Amino acid sequence: MTTAFSILIDALAYGMVLFIITIGLSVMMGLMRVTNLAHGAFAMIGGYLAAYFTGGLGWNFAAALAVAVAATVAIAMPLERLLYRRIYTLPDPLMQLLMTIGITFVIIGLTNYLFGPTLKTIPLPDLLRGPVDIGPRTVPAHRLFVITSGFAVFAALWLLIERTGFGTRLRAAVDNGPMANALGVRTDRLYAATFALSVGLAAFGGIVGAELLPLEPYYALRYMVVFLVVVSVGGAGSIGGALAASLALGLIDTIGRYFVPDFGAFFFYLAVIVIVVLLPHGIFGRAHT
Amino acid sequence: MTAAIPNLTAWRKQAASARIGRDVVGVTIVALAGGAAYFTFPDDLALLRSVMIAALFVLSLDLVVGYCGVATLGHAALYGAGAYAAGIACVRGIVDPLMLLGIGAIAGGLAALITGSIILRATGLPQLVLSIATLELGREAANKASRITGGSDGLTGIEPGALLGLFTFDLWGRTAYLFSLIVLVVLLFLLLRLVRSPFGLLCRGIKEDRIRIRSMGASVFPQLLKMYVVSGMVAGIAGALAAVTTGVVGLDSLGFEKSAMAIVMLVLGGAGSLYGALTGAAVFVVFEHVVSSINPFHWLSMVGALLIVVVLFLPRGLWSLAGQIERRLLRLRGVGE
Amino acid sequence: MRLRTIPIIVAAALGIIVPAAAETVKVGVIGTFSGPFALPGKNFKVGIDAYQAINGKTAGGHAIEFIYKDLDAPNPAKAKALAQELVVKDRVQYLAGVYFTPNAFAIAPLLEEAQVPLVIFNAATSSITQKSPYIVRTSFTLWQNTVPIARVALKQGAKKVAIAVSDYGPGIDAEAAFKKTFEAGGGSIVEALRLPLSTADFGPIMQRIKNSGVDTIFAFLPAGPPTVGFVKAYIDNGLKAAGIKLVSTGDLVSEPDLPSMGDAAIGILSTFHYAPSHASPENQRFLAAIEKGGGSLSEVMMTSVGAFDGMHVIYKMIEATNGQRDPKKAIEAVKGLRWNSPRGPVVIDPETRHIRQNVYLRIVEKQDGRLFNKEIETFPDQPDYGLTAQN
Repeated sequence: MTTAFSILIDALAYGMVLFIITIGLSVMMGLMRVTNLAHGAFAMIGGYLAAYFTGGLGWNFAAALAVAVAATVAIAMPLERLLYRRIYTLPDPLMQLLMTIGITFVIIGLTNYLFGPTLKTIPLPDLLRGPVDIGPRTVPAHRLFVITSGFAVFAALWLLIERTGFGTRLRAAVDNGPMANALGVRTDRLYAATFALSVGLAAFGGIVGAELLPLEPYYALRYMVVFLVVVSVGGAGSIGGALAASLALGLIDTIGRYFVPDFGAFFFYLAVIVIVVLLPHGIFGRAHT
Repeated sequence: MTAAIPNLTAWRKQAASARIGRDVVGVTIVALAGGAAYFTFPDDLALLRSVMIAALFVLSLDLVVGYCGVATLGHAALYGAGAYAAGIACVRGIVDPLMLLGIGAIAGGLAALITGSIILRATGLPQLVLSIATLELGREAANKASRITGGSDGLTGIEPGALLGLFTFDLWGRTAYLFSLIVLVVLLFLLLRLVRSPFGLLCRGIKEDRIRIRSMGASVFPQLLKMYVVSGMVAGIAGALAAVTTGVVGLDSLGFEKSAMAIVMLVLGGAGSLYGALTGAAVFVVFEHVVSSINPFHWLSMVGALLIVVVLFLPRGLWSLAGQIERRLLRLRGVGE
Repeated sequence: MRLRTIPIIVAAALGIIVPAAAETVKVGVIGTFSGPFALPGKNFKVGIDAYQAINGKTAGGHAIEFIYKDLDAPNPAKAKALAQELVVKDRVQYLAGVYFTPNAFAIAPLLEEAQVPLVIFNAATSSITQKSPYIVRTSFTLWQNTVPIARVALKQGAKKVAIAVSDYGPGIDAEAAFKKTFEAGGGSIVEALRLPLSTADFGPIMQRIKNSGVDTIFAFLPAGPPTVGFVKAYIDNGLKAAGIKLVSTGDLVSEPDLPSMGDAAIGILSTFHYAPSHASPENQRFLAAIEKGGGSLSEVMMTSVGAFDGMHVIYKMIEATNGQRDPKKAIEAVKGLRWNSPRGPVVIDPETRHIRQNVYLRIVEKQDGRLFNKEIETFPDQPDYGLTAQN
C-alpha cells in the first residue's frame, strides 16, 4: 500500500513538472498551430537564469524565480516578432519544425558559450530542501513544492481561460481564427500575448523542475521529445488534456522505472504509441482542418 | 486525337529518353566527383565515406518526406535496423560484404513494414509523435537486448571478409570508400528511375492532395507503405554499409539525433529532388567536421543560424539554387520553359 | 641546448635534416572536451600540462605534439573514425585518453594494424586491456576500486545490500565485483538494479531500495550529472535519515560535485585510487603545477592524475624507442615500470598492462568551509581483480 502511495507521489511530481512546462506549448500549438521545438530551450533559459541569479549573484529563490521568468519572456518576445510571425502561416509543418530546431541549436550554442557545458543546479532555500515526513513515507520537500505549483498553475490558467475576456478571445481564435479576426479580435496581439504566456510557463517549469530535469546545454533537445509527446497525447489546446496526459504519462514512466528500471523508457513510449493510435488528436483534443 | 498533336508517340519517346539521359548524366557526374575525390583527398577517405553513407540515408528520407509528404523524425529506426542486422550477422559468421548489405536491406524493409503500419495511418503532429515513439521504443529494446546488440557498449568485432573475395577492408579505407561510392551511385540511379515511374508520380500526387488521389480511385495507405518499405531498404543498406565499413555499431544508430540531423540535411539541400539530399548531406557533414573540431558548440549555433536562414529565404534548399541558376541560363539562351 | 642545435643547423644548411633528433612525436588525445562530461575531459589536459611543466616538454630529446579530438559521449563509430583520422591523416605515434569504455572497445581492433599503442587515461572496464596487446592503462578499474569497499562494508557489519549501478561496462563490472566479494564474506545482495545511463529522476529507485529493507546501498555511476542526482535523491528521499548507509567508489563523491550535494554528503564512505587531499610530496608538486598553469584546484578530478601518469608512461615509451615508431618495444619498456605517482606508489602490471596501485578508504568531511574526501585507510598494491578473477 505504501508502495502504491510512493509511486503516486513520484508520478504526481514528475507529471506536474511535465504539465507546467508543456501547457504553454499545448496552448501555442492549439492556437498558432506552430510546432515550437524551441519550447524546451525557453524552459532551459529560465532554469539557467535562475541558477545564475541564485548561485552566481546570491539572490533568494523567490526573487530569482520571478526575475528569471520575466527575463526569459523578454528574451523571447523579439524572436516572436522577427521569426515566429513569419512561420505562422506556412503551409508545411516541416518548415516550422526546422526553423524552431534552428532557434534551439543557436540557444544551445549560446548557453554553452556563456555558462559552460557542465550541469547547473539551482540551490533551493532551506524550506524546500531535504526530506519531509508526511506519514506513510518521506517525500523530498521539493517534490511537494512542484506538486502544489502544478495545481496552482492549473487553477490560474483555468480561471484565465474560462473566466476572463482574454480567455474568451483566445478560445474564439482557437476555434476559428479568421472568424474571430473578422469579428474584431486582434489576433496578432493575441498571438504575442499567448506566446509570452507560453514562454513564461516554460521558464517557470524549467526552474521548478530543475531537480528532476537537470540543466545542461543539451536540455533543450534532450527533453523536447518528451514535451512534444505529452502535448500530442493531451491534445493541443486543451488544458484538461494536458494535465491528464502529463499525469498519465508521468505515472506510466514512474511505474516503469520502479518495477523494471533496466527497461528505461520502453513502457513510456509503448503507452504513447497505443494512445496516439487510438486517439490521434489526443485525449481531449479536437481535429483541426 | 493523336493527329492533333503530330508525332505524340515520338515526342513521348524522346522525352522519356531525355529523362533517362539526364539521370545517367547526373549519376555519372556524382560517380566522377567521387572518383576525383579519391585521388585528391587520399587522407580523408573516411570522412568522404561518411558523407556518402549519410547521403544514402538522406536519400531514403527524401523518398518519404520529399516525395510522399510524410512527417517523420524516426527514420533512424530503419537505418539502425540495417546496421544492427548486418553487424550481428557478421559477428555470427556471415562475412561476405554484399550479403551483409542484403541482410541490411531486408532488415530495413521489415522495420519499415512494422513501423510504417503504425506511422502512416496518421498525418501531421500525431504522425511525427508516432515516428519518434517507435524510434525510441526500438532504441530501448536494442539497449535491453544487450547480449546481442552490445547495449551501451556497442557492437564491436565486426570484421567483414574481402569484397568479392579480392579487396580487403583496410585501415586506410580505400576499399570501403570505393565500395560505398559504387553502392551510392547504383542506388541513386535506381531511385531516380523510381521517382519518375508511375508509382513515384502517384506518391507525389498523394503528397500534393490526398483527397483528390482517393477520389481518383487510388488507395493511399498501401502506396505509402510501399514507398516507405523501399525507403526502409535503402536506409537499411546505408546502416549495413556503415556497420561493414566502420566495424562498430552503437546505439546512436537508433538515436533521435540521427533522425533529426538527417531531416536538417534534407531541408538544407532541398527535399523532393534527390540531388538535394546529396547536396545537403555533403555540405552538412563536411561543415560539421571542419567546424566542430574547432569548437563543437559553435558548429551547432552556426547550423541553427543556417537553418533559420534557409527556412526564411531558401525554403526549397540549396539545390533549388542550382535550379534557379539553370533557369536563368536557359532564359539567357532564349529557351522558354 | 646549444651543443645540439649547432649540428642541426649545419645539417640543415647541408640540406640533410637529422631525423632522430628533430622529429616531433605526435600523440593523439581523444577525450570529452565538450558536453556534460567536459570537466573530466578538461582534467586530461590539466594532467598533461602539469606533467610537462614538471618534467619538461621533451622526452629523450624529442619534442611532443598533442592533437586533441573531442568525443563527448559513448559513440563507438565516431571513436573509431577519430582514431583512424589521427593515425592516417595526422600520423600519430601514440593514442591516448579515452573517457568511455565503449569508445575504447571500438578503437582496440585497429591498434595492431596501425602499429600504435594506446595509453588509456580513464576508461575503466577490466576487459579493455585484453582487447589488444598494445593497450596500457593508467587509470583504474571498477574491480580494483570495488573489492576494497565490499570488504569495508563487511567489516562494518553490513548484512543486506542493494546494488545500484549504471547499465554499461563499468557499472556491470562494479556490480559483479561487489557481489562476488560481499557474498564471499557472508553478506546477501537483496537487490541488484541496473539503471539506464540517461536516468535523471532517481526517486522511484530510491523508493524501491527503501522498501527492500536493506541496511546499505552500494552504487556506481559515472561522475557528473548522474552521481549528483543519485546522491541528492538518496538524501532527499530520507534514506540517509532512515539509517541506510551509502558506500561507493570515489566516482560518486568527486570533489567538483560535492558542493552541489551540500553538507548532507558528509560521512559518505568511498574507496578510490586518488584523492586531491592525498599527503605526499609528489601530489604537492602536481597540485602546485596545476595552480601555476592557471588551473583551479577545486576542479581537479581523478582523470587529471590518470593523464599525468599516462604521460609518464608515454615519455618512457618515447625514450625507449628513441622517438621511432616501435610499438612492441614501447610496450615492453613500460611493463613492470614502477614510480611514485601523485596518488601513491604505482606499477604497470606486466601481465595485464594495467596499473597496480594503492586504493584508499575515504570519508567526506568539511574543512575550512570546503567539502573534500579524507583518506582514512590504505589498501596497498591492489591489482585489477577483474582480470585476476577470470584467470
